[in-house]
Amino acid sequence: MAEARKSMIKFKPKKFKVGDTIKVDFIVIHPMDTGLKKDKKTGKVKPAHFIDNITFSLDGKAFTTMKVWETVSTNPYFSVNLKVPGKGKITVDYTDNTGEKNSKSKKLKPKG
Amino acid sequence: MKRRNFLKGICAASAVAATMTPSALLAKEAHKGENALSYDAAVAAITSGKAVTDSAKVSLTVPEIAENGAVVPVKVNVESPMTDADHVKAIHVLTTKNGNARCADVMLTPLNGKGYFATRVKLGGTQDVVALVEMSDGSFLRAAKPVKVTIGGCG
Repeated sequence: MAEARKSMIKFKPKKFKVGDTIKVDFIVIHPMDTGLKKDKKTGKVKPAHFIDNITFSLDGKAFTTMKVWETVSTNPYFSVNLKVPGKGKITVDYTDNTGEKNSKSKKLKPKG
Repeated sequence: MKRRNFLKGICAASAVAATMTPSALLAKEAHKGENALSYDAAVAAITSGKAVTDSAKVSLTVPEIAENGAVVPVKVNVESPMTDADHVKAIHVLTTKNGNARCADVMLTPLNGKGYFATRVKLGGTQDVVALVEMSDGSFLRAAKPVKVTIGGCG
């Protein structure tokens, strides 16, 4: 496993109640190499390196799974909706094609 | 070397360069990644031969002109009540001319509350972005929009 990548989970809007439908945004710093580009310094073709599986889960129960290819932009951004059922913890697990595994969590705190 | 010969030489060299460039470009385009899959093959793999209907229920938001093909925002909204009986099962984001037509397959559940997905994709050139939506009853809906790309983002 490589070093942890910088990633971020955002809820939009920031303040929400139980039953509201909010956006859950996930951003991760990742090169998403296609395997077609040449490295400018070495002149060799960079091997493909991209995130291929993402799972959004709430308290361990997956609510959205994604399969992604190298055609998604560098430093990818994914946004899905969630109907807030109550308090909980959002976890995003992702793996890339080199076998690297990472995850990021954020607490879900509805008010009112 | 005489001036005339020198000029002839330059002309010949530039002619060679001019003829070389398009073929070199073609060779570059022909070189595709390991996951290369054409649009038709990708659609066939997803739908396994089922009919796909264009629907107004699926709204796809993309820029008309993308200055930089490396970052093209794509937003898909699907009208659906998102109940256990009737919900959006999957949203597939595809492109028509990229080496690998597939961008993302998103499997949704009723917990999502809305059939919504947004991301940013790379486009190798001017082409269509397609949202292929699978409903829980097994039907497939489609929405497509062209995007004009001034600078390509792939390869």
